[in-house]
Amino acid sequence: MKVLTAFSVKIDVEGAVADLKDQLKDCDARLVLFFASPAYQPDRLAAAMAQAFSGAETFGCSSAGEIVTGRMLTHSLVAMALSSEAVRSVKVEVLTDLDKPDNKAFASFERHFGVPMEEMDSGRYVGILLIDGLSRKEELIVDRIGDLTNVNFIGGSAGDDLRFSATHIYAGGKSHGNAAVVALLEPAVPFSFIKTQSFIPIERTLKVTRANEEEREVIEFDGKPAAVAYAEALGVAVADVGAHFLSNPLGLLFEGEPFVRSPQRVKDGSMVFYCAIKEGMELSLLQSTDIIADTKKVLDDDKTAFGEASGIINFNCILRTLELRQKGLTEKYGDLFTDAQTVGFSTYGEQFIGHVNQTATMLVFH
Amino acid sequence: MAGQIKIMIDAIIEQRAKGSKVMEGVVKTKLILKGIDPKIYTSTTPDDPVVIGKLHEMLIEVRFAAQ
Repeated sequence: MKVLTAFSVKIDVEGAVADLKDQLKDCDARLVLFFASPAYQPDRLAAAMAQAFSGAETFGCSSAGEIVTGRMLTHSLVAMALSSEAVRSVKVEVLTDLDKPDNKAFASFERHFGVPMEEMDSGRYVGILLIDGLSRKEELIVDRIGDLTNVNFIGGSAGDDLRFSATHIYAGGKSHGNAAVVALLEPAVPFSFIKTQSFIPIERTLKVTRANEEEREVIEFDGKPAAVAYAEALGVAVADVGAHFLSNPLGLLFEGEPFVRSPQRVKDGSMVFYCAIKEGMELSLLQSTDIIADTKKVLDDDKTAFGEASGIINFNCILRTLELRQKGLTEKYGDLFTDAQTVGFSTYGEQFIGHVNQTATMLVFH
Repeated sequence: MAGQIKIMIDAIIEQRAKGSKVMEGVVKTKLILKGIDPKIYTSTTPDDPVVIGKLHEMLIEVRFAAQ
């Protein structure tokens, strides 16, 4: 089979990995992508996956909930195996210094594929990026990649079951902290991208007049303390703004498409976000809509435009997962992914063109 | 001086998109996410050294990568 997924809820690393190996035995894997609860000991897991699938490239990360064909899971190990019928070639590199990313990974991609990064055809190649979800370096890395190439990199920020203690990146049999894995694939099948967020803009904008970009903190909107301006825009008391963060994040709009910036907390009148916001940005206030209906629509639209999916990699924001859990909708969300072999995880941030929040970014193989 | 930012933005879009409307949208999105909204810069916009610095980096990256 060209794409096959598997999952295990066995609690020991060796048992879970053996479980996956058995389920994936019908796929002559060139690449095995996996996402794991942080309950699995990271070094042993990375080594066991590399050993179990020694003929394939293996990489993945820790998660805050897992997604596999037809299901949303917790405390599990999920994987997707892709054969040479799905992926013609793949090169995996680890960025170990997120403070000073260099071009070594990209030089390696150029050597492997024999094409300069800036000349690579974005319709022929695709990149996957998995990054430490506590590093706060997503914008730096995504910006850097975006400056170097037109190839689309899609991915997510690793999670740790909402412990906010340590996330793990796995590649080549090793586990890494404060790192990112970048993989460049040359798929053997057509592929497409989905970026979906369940929000619509409402007719209020806030201009960032003062920010501490490194701390992801907006100090002032429109010359007023950020929390005050946000409360006024919503028509609620400043003391109540926290209750609106999930349903009313802000969005940077491009041709009507929101790139969601989610507030995390109020800090002395400032607002701290889950992504960096720059001074001068004009942000639209957003209103939440229906995650299930919206996700179904984009999957249907993708099918209409590109045909049946054979595999989907879903990077789904943990804030979306929390909303689904609160509303008892995780089964319905899982049901949306029964027709195609699917793997994914609940992320601490999503990447596609830029770094976004409260979004699902998906790579779809046809 | 004025208008330098628009000239640089147009150069980056032309260099990266190579005439593709889809890629033009992607490049514009990348610029917006960097805090540089192409539509607000015209030939009379005063030159801002901070914005010019960010754009210069993008132009340098393209040149570096092409070597």
